[in-house]
Amino acid sequence: MPGRQLIMNFEVTPTSHTLEAYRARGGYETLRKALGMEPAAITKEVTASGLLGHGGAAFPVGRKWGVMKPNPGEIHYLCANADEGEPGTFKDRWVLEHAPHLLVESMLITSYALGVRHAFVYIRGEFDLPFRRIQGAIDEAYAAGLLGAKLFGTEFLLDIVVYRGAGSYVCGEASGLITSIEGRKPYPRNRPPRLTVRGLFQKPTVINNVESLANITGIIRMGAEEFKKVGTPKSPGTQLVSISGHIAKPGVYEVEYGYPWAKFLDEDCGGMLGGAKLKCVVPGGISTKVLTRAEIEPLNLSHESVNPAGSGLGSGGMIAVAEGTCMVRFLQVLLRFYHHESCGQCTPCREGMGWMHRIIDRIVDGKGVPEDIDRLYAISHANDGTTICGMGDAAGYATVGILNKYRDEFEYFIQNKRSKFDGRLECPA
Amino acid sequence: MPRLTIDGREIEAQHGQTVMEAATANGIFIPYFCWHPKLSVPGNCRICVVGVEDKGGEWVEIACNMPITEGMVVYTNSEKVRARRKATMQFITLNHPVDCGICDKAGECTLQDYHYEYNGERSVSIDAKVHATKHYALSSRIVLDNERCIQCTRCVRFTREISKSNGLGMQNRADHSLVRAVEDGSFANDPYSDNVIDICPVGALLSRSFLHKARVWYLKPTASVCPGCARGCAVNLWHRRPEWRLRSPEQRARNDEIDRVTPLDNPAVNGPWICNKGRDLAKVFGRARAEAPMLKGRPTDLAGALAQTRSLVAAARKPVAVVSSWGSNEELAAFKAALGGRFAAFVKADHEPEPGEVVEDAILIRADKNPNTAGARALFGEAPPAIPKDADLVLVWGEGFDFGLIPAGAKIVYLNAWLQPENGHADVFFPVSVQTERDGHYTNFAGVTSAFSKCFEKKAGVSDAEALFAALSGQPGGGE
Amino acid sequence: MRHLIPEFEKMKERYPEGFESSLVLPCLRRIQEDRGFVADEDIAGLVEYLGVPRIQVEEVLSYYTMLRRAPIGRFHLQACRNIACSMRGAERTIDKLSRKLGIRPGETTPDGRFTLSVVECLGSCGTAPVVMVNEAYHENMSDEKLDRLIEELK
Repeated sequence: MPGRQLIMNFEVTPTSHTLEAYRARGGYETLRKALGMEPAAITKEVTASGLLGHGGAAFPVGRKWGVMKPNPGEIHYLCANADEGEPGTFKDRWVLEHAPHLLVESMLITSYALGVRHAFVYIRGEFDLPFRRIQGAIDEAYAAGLLGAKLFGTEFLLDIVVYRGAGSYVCGEASGLITSIEGRKPYPRNRPPRLTVRGLFQKPTVINNVESLANITGIIRMGAEEFKKVGTPKSPGTQLVSISGHIAKPGVYEVEYGYPWAKFLDEDCGGMLGGAKLKCVVPGGISTKVLTRAEIEPLNLSHESVNPAGSGLGSGGMIAVAEGTCMVRFLQVLLRFYHHESCGQCTPCREGMGWMHRIIDRIVDGKGVPEDIDRLYAISHANDGTTICGMGDAAGYATVGILNKYRDEFEYFIQNKRSKFDGRLECPA
Repeated sequence: MPRLTIDGREIEAQHGQTVMEAATANGIFIPYFCWHPKLSVPGNCRICVVGVEDKGGEWVEIACNMPITEGMVVYTNSEKVRARRKATMQFITLNHPVDCGICDKAGECTLQDYHYEYNGERSVSIDAKVHATKHYALSSRIVLDNERCIQCTRCVRFTREISKSNGLGMQNRADHSLVRAVEDGSFANDPYSDNVIDICPVGALLSRSFLHKARVWYLKPTASVCPGCARGCAVNLWHRRPEWRLRSPEQRARNDEIDRVTPLDNPAVNGPWICNKGRDLAKVFGRARAEAPMLKGRPTDLAGALAQTRSLVAAARKPVAVVSSWGSNEELAAFKAALGGRFAAFVKADHEPEPGEVVEDAILIRADKNPNTAGARALFGEAPPAIPKDADLVLVWGEGFDFGLIPAGAKIVYLNAWLQPENGHADVFFPVSVQTERDGHYTNFAGVTSAFSKCFEKKAGVSDAEALFAALSGQPGGGE
Repeated sequence: MRHLIPEFEKMKERYPEGFESSLVLPCLRRIQEDRGFVADEDIAGLVEYLGVPRIQVEEVLSYYTMLRRAPIGRFHLQACRNIACSMRGAERTIDKLSRKLGIRPGETTPDGRFTLSVVECLGSCGTAPVVMVNEAYHENMSDEKLDRLIEELK
């Protein structure tokens, strides 16, 4: 077990997701406690906990909430971001499938704190079991009078609607998400205004990742001080890490921040497939920069350890890459993805994603030229901080990360018109 | 009032403005494709970036969505801004076909101008451009070239926010996004559809009627007023520059035709928009013209026609005039001065709404399809024409009057620009000039008076109505 | 889609007031679930029911990968081609499916039984390679599981 467990702290059985099982674990007791607090006190507690968002940006959750003070008569919305589209990431799915009531209770507490009357769970359209589980949990909560009815003698009540997407990575971006809920084409929006000022149907809206919300119940139950004892001072609590790729035991692991990275890979995750050697790791979803085996040796899984090393923990979507993998073909798959997912709204991403994709296809096709590497850098740079949403930046980070570490493979491919590693993506072992 | 500095110059702005609005209001130019003062801010082209001074350097962001703050220091042309703009131009032109040689927009194309200004170098891409639909009939009036389109969404937003037809949308995603009209064909019924041609910053949306007719630098715009209804939208009538006039016998007639019509921004009347009817003014003014004065259908000279008219006026005991609502304020005043005392005058509607035409809407179109009803009524009253049975002389000015309403036995003097059968039924007929052949003013339904200017010379046999009225009053300078 | 309106009315009750526009996507999903795709008449009917601009529905339909305006095969096989799946053999899986069914990605078998698509990350990277069959996730698709799947569906 990679450290203390706050969320994955019960045995998963065929019924552990039900209301009955959740209640047996103490479920909805924290909600009762929260409703005895002032809403502002809840936000204060969450801020004090230092909880950072788990969607990829690691923005302090309490600070986002703080913009949206409860204001009677003013309509506020809360959206749980269950779009989980970042390749390599599949941990929100764990919460939806196995701890859906944790999300519901957390959304109730959060909505009470933020003056929200209607909340949404935006779930990617492809998810089937996670959808049935969260919808089932919500149905159970309605039947039990936890949703749609005033609670514990207060005036507070909440309705939750599960909104299913239909296939778009950009719906995982907060403003794309709410534009999707508005029933329109999910173009992200420029800021200002912040979504906490004008969001869903122009009303103040907080969008939090599922895992971020899943932490709220625990924080209110144990208090910020107890929460901060888990993890590190700058990275309190835990992260749900999804690990995949050439690893022996892929899956979702709850990792206490500060846990040694190499230990996590070698012990908890069973090391590389078939005893292969680790070449590099995608730390937190493909939009984070790859780190080589040597680079991760001294690091632990925390923001303050990984960020100075030139990457980030992102959405926790970790991908282990074995020696013998062709990083040119690796980048090709990534760029094909970004091109496919560009919404097409703003110039640098719309044109840049297609351009990068065509360049890498040409390189893999044996028709690359030396200038292509500089072109990829230039396009990445021209998408850094210049786009409406973070997707342009993300593609740039992925590209620059791989080029920085594996430029030699690209030069080899261009010069010899073939891959240094036979174009291999599967584990050589 | 907040103050901010742009390129070292301190300006005063208004609360709630963006840097783009504040700059524009102060005559400071920041380039833009997708921004438009009358449309919502999409912030997608990314060309309007400016640098803002911050402790530790300069951050660069789009100006169209940037709220002004007191004391902010903005640079529109720093090195960072120039580098970013150049990169943006590279992206915008990445898949743009170099169609300039055959594209109508050449010479008034924002993309051309900005490419020279902010990049000026060849593309750094060696990959083939993305191809898309060319010469696509967006409607019967508008040709769309998707390759040229830079996805600024001005056209889409126009139909959503101004004409409210919701006639256009952006289909698909990524670099295969395509502007398309809504599939139920309703964009064809948007009476303001052609405004998207003006606001398209590139040659993606083009007028079918103007397609490949002329290079824009061969044409000059003359300010005028659309006579299509009582709104009196300000327009530019584009026609051949004298130095570029066509000389061959087959083409020469085009020198006196309107090549195209575009809106002229008059904040008091129409802003930057006109309806499609105004676009088709060439058809209105291109109708067959009456060319010679006539007595009962027999051509005569002007002096003879004037003489006959004078004697008819002198002999008339109950002269009635039916006044044109297309007469300019100057012409109407001349009529009043010359003959207003002798004639009982009524103002007529030269034009009525045609079947299928939008009668009135909440945007620009007025039910009164005449440009100067207000000007005419101010002088001659609001009563519609009612010819008394004992009227013995009826002076009809302008088209659209039913000659059957003239009592049998009454003499008819007719002033008309157009070649129409009634011309021959009049005892005296005068061919008169049209709006494009003189300067003048109209007053619209709201009392706003606008000027129009002369574009073309009138033909030899045609008279200005103003001069005719002066001549009939016996005043000096009348007649030709 | 008229027969679905009672369902849509119930759906509407769960949304806050003024959220008619929101219903575009859930209604389209339900229409597609019912008919197999969204027909032109469904668009007209939905526009009338919700009172949204027709262009909004058209844009939404053209944008989302999961919505379609034409029928497909009875079994829609959607194979992930993103990185984690490719690292566990997705390219071979897609190739095998293509050869086994005799169609290329994007095509439907002549008997109308199978449509093969390649899709991006399905959020199941830990159990790669993953193939969706209609709504269901089929994970850890080894060669044997793939063979068995096709046999069962044939």
